Amino acid sequence: MDDDNSNALRRMSTRTRKVAPKMAAALGSSDNRSQAALARLEALENDNAGIEAVEMNDDDEASLDEDDQEIGFIQSLMDIEAHTHRYTSIEISFLQSLIDIEAHTRRYTSSGIPFSTRFMILSTYMQKRSKGTKRKTRQAKALENARKAPRSFLELLHEANLESLPPHVPSYLRAAVGPPSSTSRRHFCSVCGFSAKYTCVTCGMRFCSCRCQNIHNDTRCMKFVA
Amino acid sequence: MSNVVVLDNGGGFIKAGQGGERNPAVVIPNCLYRPLTSKKFLHPTTTFSSSPDDLTSAAIRRPIDRGYLINPDLQRDIWSHLFTSLLHVTPSSSSLLLTEPLFSLPSIQRSTDELVFEDFGFSSLVVADSPSLVHLYETSCRPCGLVSEAQCSLVVDCGFSFTQASPVFQNITLNYGVKRIDLGGKALTNYLKELVSYRAINVMDETLLMDDVKEKLCFVSLDVERDLQFARKHGKDNLFRCTYVLPDGVTHTKGYVKDPEAAKRHLALTDGASPSEAIETKNETDQLGEFDLTNERFLVPEMIFQPADLGMNEAGLAECIVRAVNACHPYLHPVLYQSIILTGGSTLFPRFVERLEKDLRPLVPDDYQVNITTQEE
Repeated sequence: MDDDNSNALRRMSTRTRKVAPKMAAALGSSDNRSQAALARLEALENDNAGIEAVEMNDDDEASLDEDDQEIGFIQSLMDIEAHTHRYTSIEISFLQSLIDIEAHTRRYTSSGIPFSTRFMILSTYMQKRSKGTKRKTRQAKALENARKAPRSFLELLHEANLESLPPHVPSYLRAAVGPPSSTSRRHFCSVCGFSAKYTCVTCGMRFCSCRCQNIHNDTRCMKFVA
Repeated sequence: MSNVVVLDNGGGFIKAGQGGERNPAVVIPNCLYRPLTSKKFLHPTTTFSSSPDDLTSAAIRRPIDRGYLINPDLQRDIWSHLFTSLLHVTPSSSSLLLTEPLFSLPSIQRSTDELVFEDFGFSSLVVADSPSLVHLYETSCRPCGLVSEAQCSLVVDCGFSFTQASPVFQNITLNYGVKRIDLGGKALTNYLKELVSYRAINVMDETLLMDDVKEKLCFVSLDVERDLQFARKHGKDNLFRCTYVLPDGVTHTKGYVKDPEAAKRHLALTDGASPSEAIETKNETDQLGEFDLTNERFLVPEMIFQPADLGMNEAGLAECIVRAVNACHPYLHPVLYQSIILTGGSTLFPRFVERLEKDLRPLVPDDYQVNITTQEE
């Protein structure tokens, strides 16, 4: 009785869980061919891959012991407020930026420092307690990386929860054009680009002749997956 | 002279100018780029095709993802450079007309408002969506045409991030009838990069160079099967083969098409006709730093018309238009089909309009006329 009925009362975390896109694809289907196809489509939609160079200064470090308590205080503040009020993504990032004011006093980033006075009061309190820095943990680095990268549109879309709108309200998801009326498609050889009749057994890419099949096996069979 | 700054904040380019003028005063790419010669990200001062710098392996950071502004800080950087150095306006004494895509999320709208009012201090702001503005422009250009008399049109925008067909009625976009394909100039360039990297040279980092290749060499074919037959031929008979030379920093800093006259030979092919005679070309082997394009030239824009060929589960442009029109009231259907307006950078491929008409005509009922207009200057 306990588990079933208490689901409604159980406090669920509203933290957005990030699943890496490849992991999501792997969890979705275990088929090699569909994985390869998914990976190809994602690569097509990508902006420049991996160009966001590491811009943070390597000499800035977060100290661990003293500031842990403050960081913990801010985080618990965030968690409580996130549960009671629905914070938007921007407000949560404002709160998270406070951790960075504390952790990196030397580097005052120009990105995302809020204007509201309430945060200013908290931040001046925090700045008094800053100290010399120590080596950054991997978690602190990851936290900062996640905070610095602006949220991608897909994350924002997911958070906006557009499926819960009533069906007569037009939204971004309903404006998508949807699947084609006929599923017949032409296949093109992945090596030379002409019309393809044959399929690779392992990865599902098309090719047109034996020559192209040899090239495919040498270079790019399972390229996206393995 | 009005004091209104008009800013079309697009995913690929920013078009900005003073209200009341005919053409935008400034068209720059909406990104920060870092060529190999510099360590910091620079502001572009003119479109990349007319800039003299070497664009090999330039890294790019864009504030707009899939059409929506997700990085307001980067956008603030770009806008402040635009307002101070290129447009020479003071925001505090001007009003702003800004375009935003439809179905924007509240968090994005809030960050845009903050950007305009708190960071720049404009005196007033109007946020419009691009289809209604295109309709307005078209009616002002041709006040006696069908578009302005019926006050209704279907704006097809093939932009950088996506392609959208939006019906506009009485200057209001009917957002229940808007249909969107998630393919745009960015996906076209990525597809071209993938094809060239598989077949010739690895160009996966060279977004700006491949943009140039796409604009100079790609076209839309009216009959893909026949053109694939022609592209198979060797040597002089192959009318499509074109070589593009990559910049090497020593002899030339910008890439160029090796033989611009040869690139236009495909235009001699009309429907059903066979090529008359081929032009003499020298027999050169591929040197380092150049690659050949044959069927990629028309297979890349083919993606917009048939995304299913890539494996994407989305309908093509013709079907998108049909679905957008069908979502509106039946009385509007004939008028919408007769007033289709094409806009956006990806419609500039040669033969785009003819191919679209050819694809669309079978899907439209017989008694409706189909009339497509482009933005001629």
